Amino acid sequence: MKPASRGTTPGTPFSRLLEMLRPDLVRFALWLARDRAVAEDVVQETLIRAWKSRDELKDPGAARPWLFTIVRREHARLYERKRLPTVDVAEVEALGDPALATDGDAGLLDLRRAIMQLPDEYREPLVMQVLGGFSTAEIASELGLTQAAVLTRLFRARNRLRTLYGLEAVEDVE
Amino acid sequence: MTDSHPDCRHARLQIGADPHHLADEVRAHVAGCAACARFLDETRALDGRLRAALELPLAQFRAPAGVRRWATPQWKIAASLLFGLLVGGGVWLATTPPALAGDVVEHIRHEAASWGMHDALPASDVGKVLQAAGVEFDTAMPVVYASACPFRGRTVPHLVVQSAQGPLTVMLLAHEKVTRRTEFEENGFSGVLLPAGEGSVAVLSRGAQVPGPVAHEIVSGARW
Repeated sequence: MKPASRGTTPGTPFSRLLEMLRPDLVRFALWLARDRAVAEDVVQETLIRAWKSRDELKDPGAARPWLFTIVRREHARLYERKRLPTVDVAEVEALGDPALATDGDAGLLDLRRAIMQLPDEYREPLVMQVLGGFSTAEIASELGLTQAAVLTRLFRARNRLRTLYGLEAVEDVE
Repeated sequence: MTDSHPDCRHARLQIGADPHHLADEVRAHVAGCAACARFLDETRALDGRLRAALELPLAQFRAPAGVRRWATPQWKIAASLLFGLLVGGGVWLATTPPALAGDVVEHIRHEAASWGMHDALPASDVGKVLQAAGVEFDTAMPVVYASACPFRGRTVPHLVVQSAQGPLTVMLLAHEKVTRRTEFEENGFSGVLLPAGEGSVAVLSRGAQVPGPVAHEIVSGARW
């Protein structure tokens, strides 16, 4: 499976591509960082890096996964470079983060909170897959894991979310 | 089949990991196993909600007060001082971006020669201009013109940088708050006003609109 290439058609100017994809990049960065300010900075760095490397993008249809990959790497670089404190999920919740707001859909709010609370090693591949459209093989390559390890992490991520959706968790896998 | 059957465990791992892309042997197993078929339906329904949950409504989302970030101490100090001056002095000029854009254009029209500069200035010369206005600006683009200009009762850096798209005028407006990115065209200039902390940055060209990433690169180098 190829990552989704929503709205990225050949012939679209590069700057327009960046503008079109920016909201999704912010969402992706936000789920990685769980902090709006950090996410905005990650995306800003991503756009600058993408602009400088724009000649590397031969197929505009591949812009979305290419940019998502840059977001993920910039996010990782920030934590390496800046030694940012990890986000305290309890604190985010206590602040009543409007990012989690919904239009009166309490179930969606619960699900967002649950995703926020997933450990990084489960949340990251899940967001890459569902929001980024990455295949399990691509996630494995990007995260430096075996495909089997990625399958296990994705299974466990969904298994943790099942109970919130009113479903019974199933037997874990080895 | 039961939950402990190896085929069921394998199928559920595959379904739970990637419910929309199943291998042929998993599909074949699901076709003959009611429990795994139900698990597949449940997981796909969950995934629909999951996608909806991940599509955060960005318009509603603002950074909550108190969330940590790594702003530089100088930035924080400058922002605090600026806030204190504005509140303490009881002065808050609510200026609309178009009016600000008009003033910026009017200002640079009076320094038309600035567009004709080609040679990069020594960093020390640029530094003096920035220092006079109490701001910082880092950019990889050569700065070919730098002047500490009076603007709306303040001293602001008026710079021209050479970009791949040609010369761009940059005005670092630490005291002019704008709430959102605003593009404008006036008197033959194309420009954009970008929020930058408690202030803003104006970037203008004499031709086509300033590319978004270039403007972002410029605004990311401004600090006050």
